[in-house]
Amino acid sequence: MNTRNYSRGKLTDKVFKYTALTFTLFALAILVILLVDIFSKGLARINWDFFRNLPSRHANRSGIMTAMAGMLSLLFFTIIIALPIGILAGVYLQEYGKKNRFASFIEINIANLAGVPSVIYGILGLTLFVRILHMGNSLIAGAFTLALLIMPIIIVATREAIKAVPNSLREASYGMGATKWQTTSKVVIPSALGGILTGIILAISRAIGETAPLLVIGALVYVPFIPEGPNDQFTTLPIQIFNWTSRPQADFIINAAAGIIVLLLITFLLNGIAIYIRNKWYKKIKY
Amino acid sequence: MYKLEAKNANLWYGKKQALKDISIGVEANSVTAFIGPSGCGKSTLLRCFNRMNDLIEDTKIRGEFLLDKENIYTDMDIYELRKRIGMVFQKPNPFPKSIFDNVAYGLRIIGEKNKTVIRDKVELSLKHSALWDEVSGILNKSALSLSGGQQQRLCIARTLAIDPTVVLMDEPASALDPISSAKIEDLIYELKKEFTIVIVTHNMQQAARVSNKTAFFYLGELIEFDDTKKMFTNPQNERTQNYVTGRFG
Amino acid sequence: MTRLQEDLKALRESLSDMATLVKNQLKKSICSLLEEDEDLANEVIVNEKRVNAMELNIDRQCEQIFALLNPVAHDMRFVFSTLKINADLERIADYAEDIARMVLLGKRSFDKDLIKTIRLTEMSEISQIMMEDVNRAYRDDNTKVARSVFSKDLQLDEINKNASMIAEDYIKNHLDKIQQALLIISIIRKLERVGDHITNIAEEVIFYKEAKVLKHIDKSENKQEEM
Repeated sequence: MNTRNYSRGKLTDKVFKYTALTFTLFALAILVILLVDIFSKGLARINWDFFRNLPSRHANRSGIMTAMAGMLSLLFFTIIIALPIGILAGVYLQEYGKKNRFASFIEINIANLAGVPSVIYGILGLTLFVRILHMGNSLIAGAFTLALLIMPIIIVATREAIKAVPNSLREASYGMGATKWQTTSKVVIPSALGGILTGIILAISRAIGETAPLLVIGALVYVPFIPEGPNDQFTTLPIQIFNWTSRPQADFIINAAAGIIVLLLITFLLNGIAIYIRNKWYKKIKY
Repeated sequence: MYKLEAKNANLWYGKKQALKDISIGVEANSVTAFIGPSGCGKSTLLRCFNRMNDLIEDTKIRGEFLLDKENIYTDMDIYELRKRIGMVFQKPNPFPKSIFDNVAYGLRIIGEKNKTVIRDKVELSLKHSALWDEVSGILNKSALSLSGGQQQRLCIARTLAIDPTVVLMDEPASALDPISSAKIEDLIYELKKEFTIVIVTHNMQQAARVSNKTAFFYLGELIEFDDTKKMFTNPQNERTQNYVTGRFG
Repeated sequence: MTRLQEDLKALRESLSDMATLVKNQLKKSICSLLEEDEDLANEVIVNEKRVNAMELNIDRQCEQIFALLNPVAHDMRFVFSTLKINADLERIADYAEDIARMVLLGKRSFDKDLIKTIRLTEMSEISQIMMEDVNRAYRDDNTKVARSVFSKDLQLDEINKNASMIAEDYIKNHLDKIQQALLIISIIRKLERVGDHITNIAEEVIFYKEAKVLKHIDKSENKQEEM
């Protein structure tokens, strides 16, 4: 054994390890700096009034009530549109579709859609939902636009989850005389649920943070009222934060920081719930 | 009268012919073993009997396959067929559901709604597959928490729950440790009182221990088919003798 | 019970049945000599067919168990021993038939005094006890009883050794009774062989139970402790 090569290998090992560690710490450090900055600016501003108040010209009287209401309603409608269509489309394409060149063509294009810049969806939404279908710049138009945006994510995640279900389970089901639909609904989908939930988590995370497409379809930047129905105009928290950061007064910056903290907490909370659900599911089915 | 029969069976995967003019009859309440080296067609033939080969693209089949004298490709609904002929696979494949739900799956598929009927059938099937004593208290636990040998017995119980008359087994013990494998063999020996069993195995000693008749396949052809005792003490065909004595394969 | 256990049990029963039959053949053939009963002798000769059929059946059972069930350890030794005991029993039955045929040849001319002097009665009793012992040893897996036949076989050997001299004397004095004397000598030789085969059976039982091979070992009295 050539000891010189051996110790050179060990050296390379160490070099790589410490380089990677340094980069990781660097990335973490940036995150920590950002968080410290935000929290130091905005934490003091957070109180009940902040949540309850509508936005106003006076920074210390502005609140995120309408933005929260708008965002949560938007999410709600987006999910009830995107989820069923996305999951069923994923199931159909993976389980029932024929495996030919056309099918591969569809698969590639759906994956590409997930990478399209979200602003493009905004333009599509503006033309199709706001103008042609006369929905105006309402919650429902926003929901449809966002649904289009997150659907590819759900479809791809569903397809991957279904692909991951071992064929042996399908064979076992067919072997007992089950039909294709019985096998799909009673065996394949329940087994794939973990992966599908992961897709939903990813989709929600994406939807929460979207600002550009909503601005394009006309989400309002200054909304002094709470939307009451799907046809009302609306705003969301990211947009509200954007609005505050473009004001010159220093107090609005503090508001923006507080808004960011709330947004971060909501994101973490939603992700946390979804991950909890997914882990519980995995425990039941791990194979 | 044969319970299960193949007459002049031929099968092609694409251009490759996997079964060459096979004719064989299986008697009721017996255990028949299919043996032969890898690629000889034994699993392929087995899967013809419950039409599992239909799931594979580009297969072509000629010849007749009969269950109780009915042609399984033309005289029978495929779902009915698969309820009358059950299958146990090489690698245990329980569903990621509870033990109870696994065994009850087949019953729910055929539309059984009565909870008492289902519960009784689950218990009976688990007793039949020598698993009841080990799981009667944990029926709601995930099937995946069982050991390999237990999972395979669960798969057998699952198959038995819908009262098939024939059980096809494709190397049921080859993925198990020797003790679990022996338990499965004892089970098969018991089950033949009520079911007709066909077992594909690459373990010749297992075929010798467990079956009444043995069929030896080679390169898609049926070389010899006789009482197991004859096959292992004095086979007529030289290729059979070479295979069972371990000279090849 | 597993299939192997069932088949081994059936084999044990088959051999025990055969052993009982052979023991009775021996008993009857000796009886037919001592009581000059020609009907009994004929019975032995006719029954020989049954013995042969049983031997073939046991051979087949052993073959099947070896070929299909791969017994190992004490199961393998059991089938192995049974197969050999089967052969020894068949030979003992052959000798019993031979004795019966000689009884018929003798046509009731046997000299009872000679029979006593030459210790044929004693020999026949000992051999029957040995037969009973070794059957029990097989049936009950009792190696102690099996070992008890070795010393008895030595007695048979002794009687056999002295028989020549006694017969020689007798013939010199009874020239008109040579034929039955010669038959008696033959019968003595055969009983000695029966003893040997019974000893073989005992060795097989000990092999099966203890995996000890006692073949071709000097089993004289002073060496018996070592076994």
